[in-house]
Amino acid sequence: MSAPLFEVRGARKLLGGRVVLDDVSFALERGVMLAVLGPSGAGKTTLLRCLAGLDRLDAGAALLDGADVALLRGRQRRRIAVVFQQFNLIGRLNALDNVLAGRLGHVPAWRGWLRCFSRTDVLLALHCLQRVGLLEQAGQRTDTLSGGQQQRVAIARALAQQPDLIVADEPVASLDPRIGAGILELLATLCRADGVTLICSLHQPQFARRYASRVLGLRDGRLVADLPAHTFDDAALLALYGGALASPTEAEASVPDPLDRADSTALTALTTTPHHQQEA
Amino acid sequence: MAAADDTGPAQLQQALAVRLRASPRRRLIVAAWSALALAFFALCWHLAQIDPARLVEGLPKLGHWLAQAWPPDVAELPLFGQRIAETVAMAAIGTAAATLLALPMAVLASRNITPLPRLYYPARWLLNALRGIDSFVFALLFVAAVGLGPFAGVLGIALHTWGSAAKLLADHIENAGTGALDAVRSTGAGRATAIVYALLPDILPVLLSSTLFWWEFNVRASTVLGVVGAGGIGLELKNSLDLLDFPRLFTIIVLILVVITLLDQVSGWLRKRLT
Repeated sequence: MSAPLFEVRGARKLLGGRVVLDDVSFALERGVMLAVLGPSGAGKTTLLRCLAGLDRLDAGAALLDGADVALLRGRQRRRIAVVFQQFNLIGRLNALDNVLAGRLGHVPAWRGWLRCFSRTDVLLALHCLQRVGLLEQAGQRTDTLSGGQQQRVAIARALAQQPDLIVADEPVASLDPRIGAGILELLATLCRADGVTLICSLHQPQFARRYASRVLGLRDGRLVADLPAHTFDDAALLALYGGALASPTEAEASVPDPLDRADSTALTALTTTPHHQQEA
Repeated sequence: MAAADDTGPAQLQQALAVRLRASPRRRLIVAAWSALALAFFALCWHLAQIDPARLVEGLPKLGHWLAQAWPPDVAELPLFGQRIAETVAMAAIGTAAATLLALPMAVLASRNITPLPRLYYPARWLLNALRGIDSFVFALLFVAAVGLGPFAGVLGIALHTWGSAAKLLADHIENAGTGALDAVRSTGAGRATAIVYALLPDILPVLLSSTLFWWEFNVRASTVLGVVGAGGIGLELKNSLDLLDFPRLFTIIVLILVVITLLDQVSGWLRKRLT
């Protein structure tokens, strides 16, 4: 068995003297879709920011192919793409220029300064926009796009980066459930197609079951569950959220389930097969 | 209903009692502040040597001058035109230089993006100092250093505006948040590239619109720079006043008003188009 693509060892993080992450460890193979679940304030965002190299851990390390992500500098960072809850697009630039930002880790700096990219890069960016279904909006300023469209531009930017790992911090928390499901579907499909590993924090357990291959449960900064998605059942959910939920099925019932459960299990089985591990 | 009546009013009475008990104290505080404000303005009145009687005495003199100013002296219009063009040019060069200098300084003086956090406070102090010293004072210094003429004025304008423009920009950057910048940084772009790519599109309209504002402001401010010998129309203004040549003075003031109004309209129109 190959060494894991991504490994987190004893991650610990303090914010303002409070422990928000404590001894979190896990390892990921290439091509895994990992969902991180947990109540608000459990440390999901902090964990993901540290995994993406946006913040530093106080102890422990996150390793991408054995290299500490906190020490990745400059263009080495392109190996990890980040999708944010608030999309974090450059509002005054059009969709294409936003996606081209994903190429900045690949091209010489002057191209970024002049916003002048090669034909190949522009074609790649346009292709990424096409894959998220926004080719028509390539020339449109992103602050005129809808929330769902903006998040799709952000996903296209992440794809243009050609990363090994995409870290998505509650990518659908700012969107309505129907559009959110579409975004997650897109993200999971594209990552699977490209053999990209995905770490995604979520508030909706049913999304995790449907799109992820593995689920991490985080509570009070500690890892309390690490399960294949299909074994993450209501009991596990209740254990994770504790008394916060009267009934997990009740919480789920508020969102209509467009996919049949049997389908999603098949999907999960598909994503957990090891055929992504030897990606060329 | 009866139960609610039992508890409700009692609680309300209690809340009212607490509020009434508090109110004499509040009244005292209001009275103290009012007295303090009154004392402050009384002291200021005294320090500023306000004397309405002198104004009443002086007004007829002003009226007399105004009567003398008519008809305006237009013989020297070409010279005035050249001087006021000098003033506008001084303001334009000074403001443009200030804007260019403001960009890197604003990055340094923004807590959330500065590449050198240790220089954050020194940068802010420098900007406050530049902002605190008027371009008039800078011009005085530069007249002594580089000699009479518009160049001294340009330097004065540039330094003062540098501080103001950079501080405005830095505050904008600090308020705007670093979402887009974080995102672009995480694509593997270098720090400078990320700032240019993610931040510049956002701050460019602010930068241009505030530059237009500073230019207009500096044209107004630099009409007085000539008084200290730092070039522009102010020089003629002072000469006319020294010679008590009121027709000449009148022409100059009208000319200044016309140019500033014109500039105000143009820059207002341009700024509207930027947003």
